[in-house]
Parts: sequence; structure tokens; C-alpha cells
Amino acid sequence: MIVSQALGYRYPAADKQVLHDLNFTIAAGEFVVLAGASGSGKSTLCRLLNGLIPHLHGGEISGVLTVAGAEPRLTPPHRMSQTVGLLLQRPDAQCLATTVARDIAFGPACQGQDRATIAKRVRETAQSLDITHLLERAPHTLSGGEQQRVALAGVLAMQPRLVALDEPFAFLDPAGAIQLRALLQRLHAAGVTLIVAEHRLSEITRDASRMLVLHQGQLVADGPPAAIMAGDVAAWGLEPSTSLLEPPPLAEIPLSEPVVAWDEIWCERDGRSVLRGANLQSAAGEIVVLLGANGAGKSTLLRHGNGLLRSQRGTVRVLGQSIGRRPVADLARTVGLVIQQPLRMLFAPTVRAELAAGPRALGRHDPTWCAQLSERFGLEAVLERPPQLLSAGEQRRVAIAAMLASHPKALLLDEPTAGQDARARATLRRLLSECARDGVAITLATHDLAWAYSLSQRWAVLADGRITANVNPAAILAQPEALGRTQLLAQIAA
Amino acid sequence: MINPNAQALAPLPEPTGRFDPRAKLIVYLLSFGLVLLATRLPDLLLLNAAALLAILVLRASEPWRRAVWLLWPTLLLFAAIVGFSDSPTAAAGAVLRLLALVTVSVSFFAATPPTELGESLLASGLAPQAVFLLEGTLRFMPTMALLVREVREAQESRGIRLDGLYLLRNGSSLLAPLLADVMRFADDLAEALETRGFGSGHRTPLAEYRFRPRDWALVLTTLATTLMAISLPYD
Repeated sequence: MIVSQALGYRYPAADKQVLHDLNFTIAAGEFVVLAGASGSGKSTLCRLLNGLIPHLHGGEISGVLTVAGAEPRLTPPHRMSQTVGLLLQRPDAQCLATTVARDIAFGPACQGQDRATIAKRVRETAQSLDITHLLERAPHTLSGGEQQRVALAGVLAMQPRLVALDEPFAFLDPAGAIQLRALLQRLHAAGVTLIVAEHRLSEITRDASRMLVLHQGQLVADGPPAAIMAGDVAAWGLEPSTSLLEPPPLAEIPLSEPVVAWDEIWCERDGRSVLRGANLQSAAGEIVVLLGANGAGKSTLLRHGNGLLRSQRGTVRVLGQSIGRRPVADLARTVGLVIQQPLRMLFAPTVRAELAAGPRALGRHDPTWCAQLSERFGLEAVLERPPQLLSAGEQRRVAIAAMLASHPKALLLDEPTAGQDARARATLRRLLSECARDGVAITLATHDLAWAYSLSQRWAVLADGRITANVNPAAILAQPEALGRTQLLAQIAA
Repeated sequence: MINPNAQALAPLPEPTGRFDPRAKLIVYLLSFGLVLLATRLPDLLLLNAAALLAILVLRASEPWRRAVWLLWPTLLLFAAIVGFSDSPTAAAGAVLRLLALVTVSVSFFAATPPTELGESLLASGLAPQAVFLLEGTLRFMPTMALLVREVREAQESRGIRLDGLYLLRNGSSLLAPLLADVMRFADDLAEALETRGFGSGHRTPLAEYRFRPRDWALVLTTLATTLMAISLPYD
């Protein structure tokens, strides 16, 4: 299906190649995991497979690449798309039409299929991804995970023989991840060739038949996933196989008065009841992990915490006082929120200016504290660089440091590990633990259970608009026989 | 129901409304032209009355009210400029013409979902790229609005105010991430379109559109009325 001989690629205006001398062959029907740290060349390789590179991006290709007998560099992407389906990283830009049904139909319509075939494919694909209930919804009203599934449906409806997925698990909840794994297994069984580029390897290595590891643009390992994961994968920036049941020990902390308390919060958005009496508290020094299915209302609850959303019923209290109508910018003195896409926060010409911007606006700029933060967050080497040009992991660290620069007592984080590689996730875990030790109350929404377990003392599960479980994960997972991992995942999914 | 086997075509959309979107487009363009050609105040008043009647029939008074609310400063400015440079009668004429154009446009879009218009034009052989301009604007306008809101909220969460006059002082904190994100979004969108086969130059319309006798009747009646109105003696 794919033959790569001495394949290399250099982006236009780049000094050096991002991929060098790749030699591999992938047979039809193989299920391949493409692993590697951020910047290792995984996304570039995916784009080479369907001709987006060089047709859209330009650059210089060396060596030979053939996919299903065609040379992507000589074949336009729309023709390659008949054979190669590619799911890209950003789901909101991949939902192209005004409703989900129209969006799934978009690809088959461009293939020139007749209406009956298009309708059949839309129905079948929506069923296989469990998004039938979303068919009439507008894509912009969906959560990130729902958009991800819609975007994947759009690709699969074209019935390609080879499907490449670039970080398909990044925005999915545990239930969505289980569904996606099942779907990939079905596609594999049906003979579709699969290439999955992913950081969350635990989701996929058990199902794949082969693993390719890219490190700094070179192919450093090629073989069965179990054999590769048994080696020293940390050297390539990968996360070694970890079990949810073997977490590092966490110190118990004495609980104090809550810094942020959500009391009976109700919220209706776009005619949908999102929160229905949600209760949560976050105390100084505590890390609370907010779990829940895609679209459960995790981001909505967090946004109530710093006043971006005002509760239709119920009260949010910060340091014991109801926030009432206090402006968000005023509440920022006490509660900081880091959104899912840190780039939407970053605007200053340098990292140094970025760290100072918030405190200056609040009239509490402390250069010594900013210097300490940049040292703790490993940003000293990039202080004079534009934040927009940093890696995803560095941008996330800048965003959190910029928020902490104002000395907030509570920090809210929305999906902090989405799209982050193992090294960045480990660094983030260490930094957040340090912040908590300094007394900051941290509440974060995530789907990354293994990461969350190694970090947090309390898990709160949001379902049906309420917090349905508010527990110490260690206590649950200490009794694996009583409540095993699968059951736990199922409980969260439910 | 146009599609006899609608059950088999679910969940693809069914055309809504009594008339083909292309017939409505022709009526809209003729009405628009008529408003542009009208110069006398009584004619403009009559056209405004007709357009307002259409708004009432189509139950589009809310979008019409919103459009006029957004437009009234422009109308006022327009009236002042024409009034000072010409005459109060000319100013009234200019305002009435602009109002009629807005009312006719709101009526048209209330009666014609742009996605249906796009697909019917696709069925007539218009290039998918041109149709996507119409659809894409509709699809991504809310996304862009959401993006502006997210950036604004992200900055306010850091204590950087963007309300009122603060927008002038802190505007760069809104504009810089916004521009960067829009450019990235455009790149991602181009990639997504290519991966979904958009460049093939062909796209099957999702519903079947046919010009039926009642569409012809609507177009011919409007055409006849327009020609009659234009050929009427001036005084």
C-alpha cells in the first residue's frame, strides 16, 4: 500500500529537512501506530501520504513515496482523497457544512456519488460513530470531542482504502476513545489500512499490528508495538507503558476552606440544559480533576468559576464571597483560567512581555516573581522569543506561567494535555504539583485519566449536568478487584 | 415533497418552501433592480410597502428589525449627506431606497435558506468553489464570532479588560491572537477541503431541485410587473 524509499522533506524557507531518509513499506490492511514526540515529523508524514505536501505547502521532497500505486507528489490531493482519508488535528476547521448531516455528505458529494449512496453512507457512518443524534446540529455548537467524531465521520464516509489519523484521541472522552478503538478494530478487520499518529499510546498500542517511531525526522524503530514499548522509549520522548493502577504516591493534604465553590449551578445554553445543580469545591493546595463525557459541561462549569458565565440559578463563591456581578478582569486577581487553546491567550511580542501583561493590567507586576516563574517553568531560554513561535508544550507553559504571574489563589485549566507529547505532559504534571504545594487551588478538566490519576487527589465526575461522583481516585483504584479500570471507565463514560 | 423516495434519502435535507430557490433569486434580483430604478418618492413608498408586506407574510419582522437597528446610523448619515448636498426630497428618496433594498434582501433570505440556494445553483452547474463561498460564509461566521469571544474571554481572564475605552488601550491583546488564529484556521480549512475531495470540480447537490410550472409563473409574473413598472410614463 505504501512504499517509502529514502524519503526526505524540507519545508519551504526551512534550513533543514524535517524528515530524512525514511525507508519502510506498509502492506494493505496493516494497522500502524506512528509515534514520536512533538515536532518529530508525524503530521508531516501524514500530509505527504495524501499529497497535501507538496501541493498545498510546497517544499522539497527527496526519495520515493508511492501510495496505492500513485505518487502523491504528482497526484492532486482531491484525487488522492479517493484512496487516502486523512483526519487532521483541528476538528473545528474540518466540519465544513452548516449541519452535521450535510458535513458527512460533503466528501461523498465531491466524489460524485448519487444521492441514495450519499444518504446511505451518512446514515451508516453516523451510526458507527454514535453521532446520529447530532445530525441536525450545527457543527459550531458541538464540543471539541463531538466535532472530532463528526470530522472523522466526514473522512470515513468517503470509504478510503487507507485512513491516516493525526491525533484522533486528543479531544475524546474515555467513552469516545473506547468507541474509536472499536471502530478502528472494525476498519482493520474490514481490510482498511490504518495509520494512527498519536501521543496517547496506551489508547492504541494494544490494537495495532505495527509501530513506527519517528525521532527528529528519522525512523528509529519499526516493529510490533509491545516489543518497542518494552524498550527505552523515553529517549524518543514517548511515554512508557503505564498502568492506571500503578500511580506514583500522592501526599494527603489538609483541606481548608474552599477558594472557589460552585453551589447548585444551573446553566442553559443554545436551548440545552448543560448544568443542573452542579456542586463543586476547590481548596487551597488541592488539585481537583473534573471528568465527564464530551459535551457534559466541564468547560461551562469552569467558566462559571471566574465569572465568564453567570449562573442562571445557584452561586459561585470565591474566598467565601459570592462573585455576583463582579467583572471577570477583577476576579482575575483571585481566579485564573487557562483555556484549551493557549495561543488564543498569547499576544505579546516576547515571552517576557507576555508574563508581565496580566500583572501590569491588574497593577500587581512583580518582576522578581516573573523571573522565578520563568525559571520554574523552564522559559528562561525563550524569554525574548515570540510566544507564537514556540512549541505546543512551551506555549502551554507560557500560558500557565502568565496566569500565575498575577498571584491568583485558584487556577482553572481546560484540557491542559490535549495535543501534548509525553515530555510536555510530564513537565506539566510536575509544574502543577509544585503550584499546588504553593497553596494554589487547581481545578482542571481533562480526559487524560492516567495523567490525571498521577496528579490529583480528587476526581469529580460531571454527568447529566451534576457532579455525580466526587472521590479520591486512589481509594477506588486501591481495590482493582472491586472496581476495575474498565468499570471505572464505563462509569465515567456513563 | 419533491423527492418521491425521501425515506431512502434521509437524513439528507429536503427542499423547503413552495418555490425553487432559483425562482426566488430571480424575483429578488428583479425587485432589487426595480428599487434601484425608482426615483419618485411615491414609487419608493409603494415599493417599501410591498416589501414590508412580504416581511409580514414571511414572519420575518424580527430579523428585519435587527437589520434596521444595525443600519439606522448609516441611514441617518446618508440622509444628512444627501440632504446637505442636494435637497431634503433627495435625502428622503435616498433613505427610502436604502430601506427598501434592506427590506427586500431580508425578505429574500427569510424565504430562502442560503444552503438551499447554494445547492440549487450547484444543480444549475455553478462551480462548487463559488457555491462554497456562500455556504462557507454561513458555516464559519458563527465560528469566527466564537473565536472573537474566546480570545476576549481569555484576555479578560488574565485581567486585561477589553470593554469600552479599554478596547482602545488593550486592543492588541485581542487583535494579535485573533489574526494569528484566523490565518491558521484558513490554512487548516484549505487542507480539510482538499482531503474531502473539494478540488475535483464536481459536487452532487444533496437535494433535487426542479423548476416547476409555479416557479415559471412566479418569475414571469414578476418580470411582467417589472417591465410594466419601468415602461409606465414618468408624469
